Amino acid sequence: MDFAVQANQVCKRYRKKTAIEDISVDVRTGEIYGLIGPDGAGKSSLMQCISGVLTYDSGEIHVFGQCIDSEKTAEKIKHRIGFMPQGLGLNLYPDLSIEENIDFFANLRGVSAELLTQRKEMLLSVAKLTSFKTRAMKNLSGGMKQKLGLICTLIHQPELIILDEPTTGVDPISRRDFWEMLNRLVMEEGMTALVSTAYMDEASRFHRLSVMHQGKVLEQGSADEIVSKSPGWVVEIETTQPDQVLATLRTQFEIVEQLGQMVRLVAFGQDKNTIESILKNLLNSEELQWHFLPIGLEEFFIQRLKNHSATAEKQLQKQPDLISKSHAKNNTADTSALIKADKLVRRFGNFTAADQVSFEVRPGEIFGLLGANGAGKSTVIKMLTGILPPSEGAGFVANQNMAHSGMAIKESIGYMSQAFSLYLDLTVLENIKLFGRIYGLTGQKLKERIDWVIKIGHLQSVQNETAGSLPMGKRQRLALGCALIHQPKVLFLDEPTSGVDPIGRAEFWRILVRLASDLGVAILITTHYMLEAEHCHRLALMQAGKIVAYDTPYALKQSLKQRKGQVLSFKVTHPYRALSCLEKAGYQDISLFGNRLQLFSKEVKDVSNNVINILKNNQIEVKDTMVLQPSLEDVFVDKIETALAKHELS
Amino acid sequence: MNIRKILTLSKKEWLEIWRDRVYFTMAFIFPFVMMMVLGFGMSFDVEKMPFVIVDYDQSDLSREYSHKFISSRYFDYKGHLKKASDADELIAKADIRFLLVIPPEFSKNLKQGKPAQVQTQIDGQFTYRASMVKGYVSAITAHFNSELTQDWFAKKRGISKQELQAMLAPVTLQTHYLYNNELKSIWSTGTGMIMLVMLVAPAMLAALGVVREKESGSIFNIYASTVTPAEFITGKILPYILISYINISILSLAAVLLFEAPFKGELSLLMVSNLLYVASAAAIGLVISTFVKSQAAAALIAMIGTMIPAMMYSGLMMPVASMAAEAKIEAHAFPAMYQLEILWGTYLKGQGWQELWPNLFVITGFLLLYWGVAVLRFHKRVKA
Repeated sequence: MDFAVQANQVCKRYRKKTAIEDISVDVRTGEIYGLIGPDGAGKSSLMQCISGVLTYDSGEIHVFGQCIDSEKTAEKIKHRIGFMPQGLGLNLYPDLSIEENIDFFANLRGVSAELLTQRKEMLLSVAKLTSFKTRAMKNLSGGMKQKLGLICTLIHQPELIILDEPTTGVDPISRRDFWEMLNRLVMEEGMTALVSTAYMDEASRFHRLSVMHQGKVLEQGSADEIVSKSPGWVVEIETTQPDQVLATLRTQFEIVEQLGQMVRLVAFGQDKNTIESILKNLLNSEELQWHFLPIGLEEFFIQRLKNHSATAEKQLQKQPDLISKSHAKNNTADTSALIKADKLVRRFGNFTAADQVSFEVRPGEIFGLLGANGAGKSTVIKMLTGILPPSEGAGFVANQNMAHSGMAIKESIGYMSQAFSLYLDLTVLENIKLFGRIYGLTGQKLKERIDWVIKIGHLQSVQNETAGSLPMGKRQRLALGCALIHQPKVLFLDEPTSGVDPIGRAEFWRILVRLASDLGVAILITTHYMLEAEHCHRLALMQAGKIVAYDTPYALKQSLKQRKGQVLSFKVTHPYRALSCLEKAGYQDISLFGNRLQLFSKEVKDVSNNVINILKNNQIEVKDTMVLQPSLEDVFVDKIETALAKHELS
Repeated sequence: MNIRKILTLSKKEWLEIWRDRVYFTMAFIFPFVMMMVLGFGMSFDVEKMPFVIVDYDQSDLSREYSHKFISSRYFDYKGHLKKASDADELIAKADIRFLLVIPPEFSKNLKQGKPAQVQTQIDGQFTYRASMVKGYVSAITAHFNSELTQDWFAKKRGISKQELQAMLAPVTLQTHYLYNNELKSIWSTGTGMIMLVMLVAPAMLAALGVVREKESGSIFNIYASTVTPAEFITGKILPYILISYINISILSLAAVLLFEAPFKGELSLLMVSNLLYVASAAAIGLVISTFVKSQAAAALIAMIGTMIPAMMYSGLMMPVASMAAEAKIEAHAFPAMYQLEILWGTYLKGQGWQELWPNLFVITGFLLLYWGVAVLRFHKRVKA
């Protein structure tokens, strides 16, 4: 077996912080290898060390057999690798056109003129960018920037490409396109790819991967192998009374959570039949529907970290019964919308950032606003919070028009963003106190609210630490607490969990769910994580300023299921060959996920048998077959594709 | 060094500057504005100082004395006041720079052969200006004194004024200012500004050019590629040399057209030295860029790091020969002094290749030194 990369017990420390600790990774030639983990896991540092652009403190890295231990030895492999740093399009030159960017990278690498012409044409057509050749990079959408970045990294035919979080911040369909393009090029050019991602649900895209957390590798292997180390199932139960079902299931299962109109249960170490029989005993199976899903990496990650650290476990076990009765509001009386967007339009010059956006959020409702970077989410939030006046239409909070309402109504709004301005040099307590004073709280009232914020955010143990020294998860909970100090009725959250690890996100959501159900707060949240979208009572998906889907997660998935059917997933021995065989046989829209092929089908049984036969005739073995429910991601890809097709027609 | 890679880097850099219209405009406007502001603002001439007179005597003699001041080109007469205290506010508001007080008994005392005292109150905030004013006032007073003496002798002895003058002041001084005949400080400071501005501006532009890529992350394209540090530094610096050469040529012309400085020397020498000088200034910027990570730090360090030596240790404010020993070393360790010699040599002294060629060698030496340091300090495998 040839190795493209062999890293052995690599350590990297920045002044005080240890970025990676004793990491060993072997990447075989020809595979797509993944580094997966939340922000601060050490993915970027490791990739930069391997690319020969960052020094490391101990251990050894070999790339194509060449030891990388100095600037000189690193130079020897640079003509064989392509490296794309983190940050969507940040390594590209905004004022240069697509073609000029590509030419720059090619000439920098000394690519000959003929080869450049030929490769440029090929890569542009694979990326479907040929018709935008002369457009300046700064005017491209996120997905286009991402694909251009990939082209520039590939132009000199590297044998190994290293891509640092290429899919962060782009919409689901661009992500899918990107993976298709990468799969195809890796297959056609016989390259090796090392790719990092913060999305656990992308794990299945890799042949093999390392799950990283806080500078260490938690697990290595293929996604299936890793997950099979803690076998188990996820069960999703549709219900109209999630509270009751939740309470019942808690008696038998450890990990149960409510996601909007659905209860989600994770059972490790139990087989399907056992779980099925327990559920049948506990619940009225005639009224309730449930389906099984294989354990994903996200669940595995949480489980693995729970075993990893006892404190994390304690925190997860502790259910927040912390919302004191005195603040609890009667949320059944008033059901008129707290947030209302009424045909909001916002134009910047001749660019329409938000186009006829309408939705409502009622008290106690968690509303998810989804879409890629630049789809118009932030513009909508700004109009609803009164920061930006709309060009047309109106935004209402508690029936007040936000375009010309006074400070009084603005004080009933809580706002928190990913870049929320905590004062990092102040302690947790000082931060909360400061925000309380800004909202005019004093004396006993202030003290009460500070205690409440500390309690709801589980910040007791870190009260006197500076905000800057907190891990991301705790920092986000502090930011949330500060946004809640003045007891707002409406809460706007702009990507609050970006970059937070799965445990931190689970904890954060537990608080949000309680806020909505116990205090009747109306919550509008934007997120990139599809699993989080499942938590929402209702969702709106934005694409190019317009809302292209608006319903409950359940209804969205059901309608897709009715139109396109269920998802068939095959694990095969030769995925690339299998893909081309099936395409030849006339199957369309097959997606490649590492060793798995997935396609939609209404006649699950027939298609499944047919596919297995076709593959068998081509000497490809199907190792297992699964029938999955369409995911929210599938819904969004479908909706965006439909919207784009409509756009092209008009 | 691969020429194609260097040109690729230069072309990309040029396109980026050219298309970023704000940055592009600033690159040309900034040096010109800086030169105008500093050139006209840093004039050391003490001329047309506004003043008032308080004449308590009101006699022929006091008027004659006053007239000497009123007619001087160094002073700007603003009128008579009744009493000295009226002038306090005018001095405080900087409407006048000094005040001349002639006491009541002025002419009476003089006619009786007693000494008379006059007073002048000078705004002493700027010591240089105050001592210049004091010098002018003393000179006029001394001249008035000698005239009085001459008149007295002429009356007493009945000899002509010319004879008297020969007797009393046998030595007369004829002053001829070389190089700057009219002793206009703008000729010197104005041309000197070319040296100052064109050290600061190229250094800042070049430093920002590299650090901008560090901030955005596009520097990783270079780190991860096969481009050598020498190719990168060279490719990066060329567009900034081009822009700065256009700038220094504009400023060299502006010195003649706007500051009305003469140009007496060899133009070809100045053109060559201008090119080498802006190149070495841009190279300083690249050296700075290897130390810092943020654009703010780059701009600040480039500004201070070039402005202070160019201002204080180049000979612009004070001749290098009269500097303290350490300052002299500092002056010789920077290209500014050598360029100033070339500028003043060609504009004011009428010098050329024959006198100034060694300076070109020194400036070229600095260029190579800075380029070398930047190349050695640029690492493609970084620590953090």
